[in-house]
Amino acid sequence: MRYAWRQMGLTGAMLVIAGPGFAASSPSDPLNSVMWEVLRDQYFAGAPVVFDDAVKVTAPAAAEDTRAVPLSVDATALGRVVEMVAIADLNPFPLVLRYHPGTAAPYIATRIKIQQATAVRGAARTADGVWHVSGVMVDAAGGGCSAPPASYAQKDWADHVGEVQARLWPAAEDGVARLRLRIRHPNDTGLVDGIPAYFVETLQVDAQTPGGSPTLARIDSLEPVSENPVYSLDLRPPPDATALILRGRDNQGGEIRATIPMPPPGAKPAMSLKPAGQSWSVGQ
Amino acid sequence: MKRLVTSLALAASLTAFSATGVLAADGPSSDDLLKSATNTEAVLTYGMGPQAQRFSPLTDLNADTVKKLVPVWSFSFGGEKQRGQEAQPIIYDGTIYVTGSYSRLYAVDARTGHKKWEYNHRLPDGIMPCCDVVNRGAAIYKDKIYFATLDARLVALNRETGKVVWNKKLQEYKEGYSNTAAPLIIDGKIITGNSGGEFGVIGMVEARDAETGELVWQRPTIEGNMGTLNGKDSTVTGKTNASWPGDMYKTGGGATWLGGTYDPETKTLFFGTGNPAPWNSHLRPGDNLYTSSTLAINPDNGEIKWHYQTTPHDGWDFDGVNEFVSFDLKKDGKVVKAGGKADRNGFFYVIDRTNGKLINASPFVTKITWAKGIDIETGRPIYIDDNRPGAPTEGGGEGKGKSVFAAPAFLGAKNWMPMAYNPQTELFYVPANEWGMDIWNEPITYKKGAAYLGAGFTIKPLYDDYIGALRAVDPKTGKIVWEYKNPAPLWGGVLTTAGNLVFTGTPEGYLKAFDAKSGQEVWKFQTGSGVVGSPVTWKMDGEQYVAVVSGWGGAVPLWGGDVAKLVKDINQGGSLWVFKLPKA
Repeated sequence: MRYAWRQMGLTGAMLVIAGPGFAASSPSDPLNSVMWEVLRDQYFAGAPVVFDDAVKVTAPAAAEDTRAVPLSVDATALGRVVEMVAIADLNPFPLVLRYHPGTAAPYIATRIKIQQATAVRGAARTADGVWHVSGVMVDAAGGGCSAPPASYAQKDWADHVGEVQARLWPAAEDGVARLRLRIRHPNDTGLVDGIPAYFVETLQVDAQTPGGSPTLARIDSLEPVSENPVYSLDLRPPPDATALILRGRDNQGGEIRATIPMPPPGAKPAMSLKPAGQSWSVGQ
Repeated sequence: MKRLVTSLALAASLTAFSATGVLAADGPSSDDLLKSATNTEAVLTYGMGPQAQRFSPLTDLNADTVKKLVPVWSFSFGGEKQRGQEAQPIIYDGTIYVTGSYSRLYAVDARTGHKKWEYNHRLPDGIMPCCDVVNRGAAIYKDKIYFATLDARLVALNRETGKVVWNKKLQEYKEGYSNTAAPLIIDGKIITGNSGGEFGVIGMVEARDAETGELVWQRPTIEGNMGTLNGKDSTVTGKTNASWPGDMYKTGGGATWLGGTYDPETKTLFFGTGNPAPWNSHLRPGDNLYTSSTLAINPDNGEIKWHYQTTPHDGWDFDGVNEFVSFDLKKDGKVVKAGGKADRNGFFYVIDRTNGKLINASPFVTKITWAKGIDIETGRPIYIDDNRPGAPTEGGGEGKGKSVFAAPAFLGAKNWMPMAYNPQTELFYVPANEWGMDIWNEPITYKKGAAYLGAGFTIKPLYDDYIGALRAVDPKTGKIVWEYKNPAPLWGGVLTTAGNLVFTGTPEGYLKAFDAKSGQEVWKFQTGSGVVGSPVTWKMDGEQYVAVVSGWGGAVPLWGGDVAKLVKDINQGGSLWVFKLPKA
């Protein structure tokens, strides 16, 4: 069930000035979101877009806490994926994050703020340049993006900014190891009166190996990710990795650093969400 | 076809952007910064030149044409953070970079007042600025713009986008450190001082690589403390315990909170140092080097070349941070490489900037109670011993020492607000204040992060009709050539121009211009809140512009005692005003 459709945007138009003109019109949005066309032009910048149920977006039908709504995007069914995005259509900042899975499996889970009931989407760009988009509706009471973080109730919040909690499970048979990260950070949107925007912007996981430190995956994280952000990733650490290194930065130049030890011998892999028998291709 | 047309138009405008952007993208070089005093198209450094003369060679505006000076636009700093605005704008390539209260930095289009970007630093709850949440300005170098924050960090941003490039901790804010001065950039090194003299911190001058923010050298200002160079211990400042008892040098104060100036001719940095801690001088017999001094420092390695101590063994909070302004003293047919300093203690010092020897010192306020004068031979004050607040141990009742009435007050004959020097009139223009204080000592012990004063005080005006006085001081004679009296204390910087003008602001809300030779007021404009920032001027599109920030605050309303009552009705604000002299 794929609606193929090609949008001629900025790059396309400039390259194909003498070309055949524009292709067929856009397929309609299965979620009927009023923001879809605007967001499509903004975040997919002229690349081909298809609605594709192979991308699995999981979020609650109704948000219990609009400041921390669990969201996962699983594009493992597509095989090799170059980039993923998460979008909450009706948020004041719709783009939640961009994920560059590198050698990791195309799966990311986090918690996000939601300002009102909205379509929440996940999209994955395959190596052929096509964006595969899917999503769900999340019902919500208002205000998740414009409420101050709970941590400000504590006077010493600033002492803990950038602290990392992490857990790495051993790789399963397919070589995929689950990493879960929690970072202490207010992740302020800048929408609360008198509180400047202050949020985690980049995160990168490298493997420490005798031969160097290859990058496994990167996240460009944005305002809608919840306070004290949590991320789950399915990495493929090289077999000779001695530790994983997390490097990150917030928008005010604050640095995040953590060394994550490899799991102890005998530990069991994390429970896998992916369908059994699915084969993986390693990223570009 | 509409979409196609738009795309092509966008592509065309992008090309145009990069064509004009090539030169500007490189940004000001080290050489540009050293020559910034003569660059009339930009304001590249705090002080309008590394020597900080605050002199512009522009002549379009003069005592005759200034009446045609009109506002072009005003820019609000926004939000509820309307506290003291003490910044000097930086102007480069059609953009004004200006800092606001609460560690905010703005890039504004100089022609239209349109905001390009804003950086709003997230401050922790526990910052401890002593004297309002001010900032005095940014520094520009190549593709970056820099400023220091109230939580004692130094932030480098891309000046086109406002994105943070790096953010380095200067000191631990929880121990009382903060930073409000404009950084100084010399030969690719960004040089900063520190604040926190009321909390028993150690004064420090530090140089970092402007590209990376990595520390190059550190020079503590208190004798006995170790400096560093390239990550290793370098030399001890002074000689341990030569002028400090016991281990009091470890919490000796001497904060360099006003930053410094630089003289390209002698390749020397000049940093003023703050008061010794605690205020109670009986606890620390000795000169307490190098507090209340000017230090001449080698910018390559942080070594001290010479020092001049204006108030040895200070007992009145006569902090010596006031800027040292290099100038050529023309006297008896000779040109002496000199520097001028209007000290908080009430004396105007002219010092040989090659060796730190005193040339002359004269009062620039009407009443000085703590010293009869300065001995030209020794360079030391001739103290009036009775005017030192008494030791608490010798009784004044309830554990307090004997109270004295001293002038100037601890807020200084001149505080932070920078003076200007005009090489054409050969006069310094000094924003002075006439006030005194009752001051007494109290017992005190040091506690990290707590105020370390050991003194009580209350400030009083000396005259009914004025406190502030803008004075033209002749450095050759020490004589006051003219003065302008202002009801409220003056708290803003001064600008002078080759057009025979002097500009400064008043807490009453005016930016005023004076004839530089006669002192006659020739222009004023009401900005809507007190002016405690430093005005600048430059030329753009063939017209001369003036910019100043408006927004009442600073130390006076917080520490001003009786004086605070006089200024309590001034409304707060936070805005940047830009004026120009329109072409004919």
